[in-house]
Amino acid sequence: MGAPAGEGKILILATESCAYPGADAVGQAHITYPANTYILKVKAPVLFPEEFYLRCFDKGISGIIVMSCGVECPYEGAYEALAKRIDRVYQLMKQRGLDIRRLRLTSICTVCTRAFVNEVKQMQEVIRELGPPGSETKTSEEAAAAAESA
Amino acid sequence: MEEKRNLASDGSDAPRVGIYICHCGGNISDHVDVEVLCEKAEKIPGVAVARRNMFMCSDPGQELIMEDIRSGKVNRIVVASCSPSLHEMTFRSALERAGANPYVYEHANIREQVSWVHHGEPATEKAFQLISAAAAKARLLEPLEPLRVEARRHATVIGAGIAGLRAAVDLADRGFQVALLEKTPFAGGRVARLDRLAPTGEAASEAILSLARRVMEHPAITFYPCAQVVGFDGYVGNFSLELQVEPPAAEDAVPPSNLPPAGDGEPVFVPSRGVLLGPLPTEKGRIQVETGVVVLATGFKPYTPRKGEYGYGELPEVMTLPQFIEALRDAQADGSVLMLSGRPIRSIAMIHCVGSRQIPGIHEEDASGYLNEYCSRTCCSATLFAANQVRTRYPETRVFEFYRDIRAYGRGQEELYQEAARNKVLFLRFEPEDPPRVERSDGSSGTPLVVRVKDALTFGEEVQVPADLVVLAVGMEPTGIQDLVDLMKLPVGADRFLLEVHPKLRPVELATTGLLLAGTCQAPMDVSEACNAASAAASKAASLLAKGYVQLDPFVAEVDMEKCQGTGSCVEACLADGAIELVDVVVNGETVRRARVVQALCLGCGACVAACPSGAIQVKGSTLAQFEAMVDAIASHEAA
Repeated sequence: MGAPAGEGKILILATESCAYPGADAVGQAHITYPANTYILKVKAPVLFPEEFYLRCFDKGISGIIVMSCGVECPYEGAYEALAKRIDRVYQLMKQRGLDIRRLRLTSICTVCTRAFVNEVKQMQEVIRELGPPGSETKTSEEAAAAAESA
Repeated sequence: MEEKRNLASDGSDAPRVGIYICHCGGNISDHVDVEVLCEKAEKIPGVAVARRNMFMCSDPGQELIMEDIRSGKVNRIVVASCSPSLHEMTFRSALERAGANPYVYEHANIREQVSWVHHGEPATEKAFQLISAAAAKARLLEPLEPLRVEARRHATVIGAGIAGLRAAVDLADRGFQVALLEKTPFAGGRVARLDRLAPTGEAASEAILSLARRVMEHPAITFYPCAQVVGFDGYVGNFSLELQVEPPAAEDAVPPSNLPPAGDGEPVFVPSRGVLLGPLPTEKGRIQVETGVVVLATGFKPYTPRKGEYGYGELPEVMTLPQFIEALRDAQADGSVLMLSGRPIRSIAMIHCVGSRQIPGIHEEDASGYLNEYCSRTCCSATLFAANQVRTRYPETRVFEFYRDIRAYGRGQEELYQEAARNKVLFLRFEPEDPPRVERSDGSSGTPLVVRVKDALTFGEEVQVPADLVVLAVGMEPTGIQDLVDLMKLPVGADRFLLEVHPKLRPVELATTGLLLAGTCQAPMDVSEACNAASAAASKAASLLAKGYVQLDPFVAEVDMEKCQGTGSCVEACLADGAIELVDVVVNGETVRRARVVQALCLGCGACVAACPSGAIQVKGSTLAQFEAMVDAIASHEAA
């Protein structure tokens, strides 16, 4: 565990009323998880435009987990708008040859300690497999080229 | 270049960030190298100073920050410590006291999200990057003005037990209108079932009546019996509650024979039930209450022993302490031997810690899988007090107390213990894994029951005590208020009691500003402690409402008129009806459409931010630029 030089970083956008206290609950229970995880507290992730996610990958963030409140969302309609936006981000990621598993939308409650740790572990596996963002581009370009020539 | 300018300490407005790192008495510094962190933090662009302290939340810790602000050394603050839910407010208020704007503050969570979950170098590394990110945001923070919203000079107290009564009277005396809600027909709560209160011996009925009289007389207090909260909405200063009132259920109805003739406005005390403060609802109805603060005084219920636990529910001679107190109250006042239901009670065995201090692996969990691992605190003194009453009123009735530890912790309570010894109450001590066994007697003891125990005071001697009656000193559990917990999103601790923001510094506040705790809904307490908490909650409520307005964090959307192109995409994206509107403004002699935020309606969710094509609308206190700066710092390869 830990974030040795070169290991990818996971950005977690955690909602202030659910997922952020959920992450605190993991701390209160002293459950360890990989240290290459960086949590930003947000009121509602619906605030971020599509480009925000793409820029994060441009900056070298390997994986992003959006930990929302899901159906518990205090802002009516925000979760649905967020889900739509994430779908559009997936389209843009595909266009850029980014593996869409690098971005995950999930919901974490204030006491969802196990779910929190699971999400982190799964993303950890994904970024280990994929390496730094953009490293999969080549393969998909090659794939596209191969598909064209066929 | 920009960094150099920012570092200038010439009193200009360029951001000068101060970083304050907390050791948390070792909670952080045992896992994170705070010295290295401090050295590195000082080199972060825009940082003027980095300091550390054993406890940043302590007075000396806060003073470090305030001194740097006063001297002009810093004008943006980052504290790296526990979760912001604990101390963000503490530090914002320190900024304010030092004359700074409370919103030029950013918090780095390096305890719950670092030192408690990571160890060694990666922990220090992560802490550094979180601090860098916080500093990056702090450099972009602008002073903000809190929103002012008119506050209703009205308080609602839920629960009319002794704590609820106390809080209602205190609040009304301070000039607030008060709605006092009670789900039963009676005021007085659990105290109404008691006789005399330990350790001083005054009548429980008098304690209730003295407060109930004032509730009844006070023109500012409205009492709602048989009322349940079914709707809850709003924020501090402007909550609204919906009540469902119903005529009392058949089992709650008061037999008229039980009621002394009602005098002129004099409250009526019904033993074991409480005080009637006025007419009860005769038909179902809904009532809307608009209020400024809500005090929760929902109380406790005594632990119900499992069937068969120390013979409870199987042997009729086994009862709980609350049942015994009522029986003792109704028994003939004195005599040589206590008589209960015509039966002479010559020997009483009282067993402590029933349903309290339960140990996983030794005690059985309840139906929902819970163990009460906490001490209920009040049962030792209540048991000793009852034992003393028996011994002084009925000299021929012997009392045996079976205990694990005696915790007579409050003023006048140790004296009860000494008095019990003088009264020749016999104490036998047991280990939790070897509890007393309550058994049907074979007849040789001359009593219906015997209690066997391995007595630790005589080094494990097997002792057999004859008993006419076994009294179980049951602990306290929170009243079942799951409906309120769900409705009002109340935080509940591992012990199922309601959970305050901070056990020491903010002991009667809930995380939602304007919700307060009074009494045993929070933890086991005796009557003095419950009243103490109730008065504290009332003071806190009063100080929230006293100014006539409340200040809310100004984290709402704001339009940059220079950038706005009037596309209206924010209006379309907005989730709160009417929070953004398009208005005509004149720019360079031309009338154009621009977006305008109605602050009172804005939720601050930021749905508009993502939709704006020109980046003209931002949520104050968390702008996209600030998030981008944080991501830059996190993505950076700068190592601690």
